[in-house]
Amino acid sequence: MMGLSAAIQPYNLMIAVIGLVLGIIVGVLPGLGGANGCAILIPITFAMPPTAAVILLACVYWGALYGGSICSILFNIPGEPWAVAVTFDGYPMAKSGRAGKALVLSSLSHGVGAVIGVFLLTFFAPIIAEFALKFGPPETAAVMILTFSAMTRLGGKSALKSLVAIFLGFILAAVGMDIVSGKLRMTYGTVPLMGGFSFIVAVIGLFGIGEMFLTVEEGLKMEGIKAKVRLKDVWDALREMVRHRKILMMGSLIGCWLGIQPGGATPASFMAYGFAKGTAADKDEFGKGASSGIIAPEAAGHGAGTSATLPMITLGIPGSPTMAVIMGGLMIWGLQPGPMLFKEHADFVWGLIGSIWVANFIGLFLVLAFAPIFAAILRIKFSILMPVIIYVCAIGAYAVNNRMIDIYYMLIFGIVGFLFKKLDYPIAPMVLALVLGNLAESAVRQALIMGRGNPMIFFRPPIALPLMLLALFFFFLPTFSKWKKSLTAKKAGVST
Amino acid sequence: MRKADIIVALGLMLVGFIVLADTIRLGFGWGMSGPEAGFFPFYMGLGIVICTFFIVLRGLKTYKKEGAGKRLVAEGGLTQILWVLIPAAGMVLLTELIGLHFATVLYLGFYMGVVGKMHWFKVILISLLIPSATYIVFDKLFLIPLPEGLWGKYLIPF
Repeated sequence: MMGLSAAIQPYNLMIAVIGLVLGIIVGVLPGLGGANGCAILIPITFAMPPTAAVILLACVYWGALYGGSICSILFNIPGEPWAVAVTFDGYPMAKSGRAGKALVLSSLSHGVGAVIGVFLLTFFAPIIAEFALKFGPPETAAVMILTFSAMTRLGGKSALKSLVAIFLGFILAAVGMDIVSGKLRMTYGTVPLMGGFSFIVAVIGLFGIGEMFLTVEEGLKMEGIKAKVRLKDVWDALREMVRHRKILMMGSLIGCWLGIQPGGATPASFMAYGFAKGTAADKDEFGKGASSGIIAPEAAGHGAGTSATLPMITLGIPGSPTMAVIMGGLMIWGLQPGPMLFKEHADFVWGLIGSIWVANFIGLFLVLAFAPIFAAILRIKFSILMPVIIYVCAIGAYAVNNRMIDIYYMLIFGIVGFLFKKLDYPIAPMVLALVLGNLAESAVRQALIMGRGNPMIFFRPPIALPLMLLALFFFFLPTFSKWKKSLTAKKAGVST
Repeated sequence: MRKADIIVALGLMLVGFIVLADTIRLGFGWGMSGPEAGFFPFYMGLGIVICTFFIVLRGLKTYKKEGAGKRLVAEGGLTQILWVLIPAAGMVLLTELIGLHFATVLYLGFYMGVVGKMHWFKVILISLLIPSATYIVFDKLFLIPLPEGLWGKYLIPF
């Protein structure tokens, strides 16, 4: 309640609307996304009170989620990986002249997924935070290891390449002054490296500029479908949602469950889509514009997006790249993410949770009312959009530390991001490692000091041990299932 | 694609070795007060070297078996990318001299006029409007000074 009243103060409400509009715009634009939008806006938030600042960034995040669906339904271009599952049925439905209905379906399912997610958040966040207060350095390190092991395997990419990305992120985070001993590390006698790498610059370069290179390489073709939302569409969509209420619920729950783990939104939306298809009576409809094919992945994607907030505010572990950026923002504003946040800055946390409620209601309205306007952004000529986006990225990169060198880093990160995307190195774990770098390193070092150098401290019961076992389980699960498959295949080969 | 895969992995391995060199200088063992400064990055660097070694090995294997595979950058894609990268790099270099706002006017004008082949009136209008808007928002409203370069401050009279 307290949070809700904070969120509906006129100033915060205004910030929320601005954030949502900006979020939808960055969600629709090619090359920009939630993570980028937040990264560029962080310098602006320095001048705001922390609650307003987090509301702004969170609303950019929700707005980008809504914007991403507009993009995938009307243009068949998924803005983020999880939105791929939405294009399967969203685009065909829009193509067959029911674009309005598709948009309403997607944003309403979004809303439901988010509401269920925020319900869970409201109830579970204080409990988990209370539990996490018992964590010492070994437990924190174990949570981090669990996070990264889940990330290595959930991405569906090569495990080796994911590991390289994580290690690289940690190394980049370590450049500059060592927080414990005060020694300069990996600066090789150069002054620019002494300041280290800012994760904001890395995010802007890797996601923004790198994405831009990919877009021009593929030869951008924007062939959107004109959409207008009529009242009849809203009515139609509502009826469909009641008809598919089971799928809606399942989608949201799958999303909320998988969203707690880092990088869970993409598997969640695919899983929900698969579930909807598996239980549907008319499987032929899928891929041609089935309503439940939109409802399920949208609800899961947004549910996951909402529940990604949970580990961030309770454990200090961000569940998605955008959350990582927001968490980096918290640290810059002088707040320590994690269980102490609940104790020391309760108003801030509840303000954030309250803003999720408000943002989703306003977001729904904005999308339904102004979808055609937002879609029109994509019809702006690319030769205007592209330089403007690069310009905005450069401002964002510079304004973090007012350093010119950061703009050069941004371009370099852009090239790295392009190469990584092309060669299947996942970028999200690298950003996460860069944000968590200092926390993870000090947790590992303190834990080792506690254990007098004995690494068995990471396996100490009662909390660290199950976390580590879970981490090992996640890490080796795909290897096991592959091994089992090849074994059964061999057996089958012998018997026939 | 496979060649690029191997080359990038080798490059990353080099990064790993450079990191290892510095962490060995810093000391990566057990010091007076627990792990030394180079401890954590040392194992990260070691991890990169080991992982990239296997990536290179696997890359070489598939390269021998299946040939080079697809091109890394699609046909004609490279020119497109360079058309983005070079003007952007040019803008950054110009920023050092005349500041971000003026560099952007030239950059937007160049890109829209030469690459986009738009009408000159639109080009001038947009390339003046956008930097002025950001100047007002950042330098004046939020008091975040954007880079002025060497001569930028003499160019803005107010």
